[in-house]
Amino acid sequence: MPIKFENVSYVYSKGTPMEKQALSCVDLEILEGEFLALVGRTGCGKSTLVQHLNALLNPTQGTVYIDSFVNSADKKKRDKKTHPLRKNVGLVFQFPEYQLFEETVVKDVAFGPKNFGDDKETALAKAREALLRVGLDESFFERSPFELSGGEKRRVAIAGVLAMNPKYLVVDEPTAGLDPAGAKEMMDLFRNVHQSGTTVILVTHDMDLVLAYCSDVIVLDHGKVVKTCKPVDLFGDDVTQYSLQQPMLFDFAKSLGEKGYSFDAATLRDVSSLAKQIAQGRKK
Amino acid sequence: MNNFALGKYVPYDTWVHRLDARVKIIAVIMLMVAVFFPLSTWSMTLLVQGTLLVLISVILACTKTPLHSILTSLRSLWVMVLFLLLIYILVPKAENTLGIAWSVNGWTVYWDSFAEAARIVVRLVMMIMLAMALTSSTKPLDLTYALQWYFTPLKVIRFPAEEFAMTISIALRFIPTLLEDALRVMRAQSSRGVDFAHGRLSKRIVGLTSLIVPLFVSSFIRSEELANAMECRCYDPRGKRTRYRKLRFHWGDLVAFLFAGAVMAGVIVLSALHVDLFALMGIVAL
Ligand SMILES: Nc1ncnc2c1ncn2[C@@H]1O[C@H](COP(=O)(O)OP(=O)(O)OP(=O)(O)O)[C@@H](O)[C@H]1O
Ligand SMILES: [Mg+2]
Repeated sequence: MPIKFENVSYVYSKGTPMEKQALSCVDLEILEGEFLALVGRTGCGKSTLVQHLNALLNPTQGTVYIDSFVNSADKKKRDKKTHPLRKNVGLVFQFPEYQLFEETVVKDVAFGPKNFGDDKETALAKAREALLRVGLDESFFERSPFELSGGEKRRVAIAGVLAMNPKYLVVDEPTAGLDPAGAKEMMDLFRNVHQSGTTVILVTHDMDLVLAYCSDVIVLDHGKVVKTCKPVDLFGDDVTQYSLQQPMLFDFAKSLGEKGYSFDAATLRDVSSLAKQIAQGRKK
Repeated sequence: MNNFALGKYVPYDTWVHRLDARVKIIAVIMLMVAVFFPLSTWSMTLLVQGTLLVLISVILACTKTPLHSILTSLRSLWVMVLFLLLIYILVPKAENTLGIAWSVNGWTVYWDSFAEAARIVVRLVMMIMLAMALTSSTKPLDLTYALQWYFTPLKVIRFPAEEFAMTISIALRFIPTLLEDALRVMRAQSSRGVDFAHGRLSKRIVGLTSLIVPLFVSSFIRSEELANAMECRCYDPRGKRTRYRKLRFHWGDLVAFLFAGAVMAGVIVLSALHVDLFALMGIVAL
């Protein structure tokens, strides 16, 4: 049981007039090896939820289990040592480009590994590897992170978490504000990371990405889990009630279906899989 | 990280919240004067400061500030309290009204030293409580407007009251934003393994840099954006400005003002005339 939420609620500013219930009675499980999408309308509690994975937030009620770590509302049951947990769960925040601070890119990326006990050389080696993985070559290593473009900064920040080699990688809206090509590269990177054995949890508003990349999806609405399923099953239903949009591909397939084509929705993932089905239908 | 009790406005709707900000400022100043006026004897000090402490606690309770938040802000002060106590005990004092606490080889410590230290601590607590009552019940913007109102007469000597108020209100406006930024960067760095609370000093300093540098960067970016936005809206520091929300003076404000004034006047009279109520009543006290 890698990650498990048991009846988790979270309330911001409890006991003041600004009190705000962000999560209510969340029950969910995340298995090892999943590429999980966490979706839902703005303000539904996604970012709040992922911060529980890292013990940055402690539940107001209920318990979160992350492997052997217990993050509970009950102070006595809660594990105190967060260091090992944070090495295991790499969390990339929304707009991570604001967390850079070192003089050079490579030093900034090495910061995480160094904090988790690597010596300088090992940390720098890991940093270089992570930077190459996110698509930044040697020419970036010695530059100051402050003179990079927004997208490049974000890559550096993501490399900073990848360099820690986490078992779970949690990314909060990594593609927001990137150009389409950059977004695709970013997602291919996460697929790559996932294939090398990391469990990836992706928070996003882009349903095309969910369909194309994710193995599972959890829909949150007003702080509650309203659906846990495979992406294709989600889009079979009416998703506008959760303020979500059908992926373009599904819309397209649907109108083709109305014109007499038949599709097997279960294998629909991206443009090429749709094209394949169309071609096969024609041959029949 | 969330114990910034001082300076955080909490939007309740109590009578303290509804008071005019100008009155609240002047009332707080008057009560502070009352707190800091020395009295002739210890028994009078105990009586007057005790009454003030009760009064201020009641006011603070009226703003719905949880009283235990005072303890939180005091926690950071206990080093100072200890230090004070030490100084008062080590430095010999001539006056002896309360008797000798101990006398070792000519090193004599009177109970007065302890009383003195206690008095300072109690005063400090009252001051913090007053400041808390003010800031938790008044919107920062109302505070600046009130300050601006007080500074307006200084325009005669070319004091830039409006620019001053604008500067302060911008600064106040950005406190929560910067705090949020700080929390965000802190969370991000904690997930990269920084431990801000424990660990070796050198590590903690690195941790702190990882917090401060991004904060500086983002506040520079913000200030530039703000300056541009103000330019685009044709902000002119010398222009005449009108205001959407006006401060208004009500009867309740007058009552509060008179009450605080009376408290201050009372304490000043007691202090200046060396009145000893206990002696007047025929009770022999210390
Ligand atoms: N620090 C905070 N204090 C008070 N309320 C907060 C705080 N952070 C978030 N909230 C509230 O909690 C709710 C959930 O916020 P959260 O950031 O988890 O949403 P989200 O699903 O990540 O939204 P988005 O898609 O916009 O990132 C929101 O209604 C928000 O207003
Ligand atoms: Mg979010």
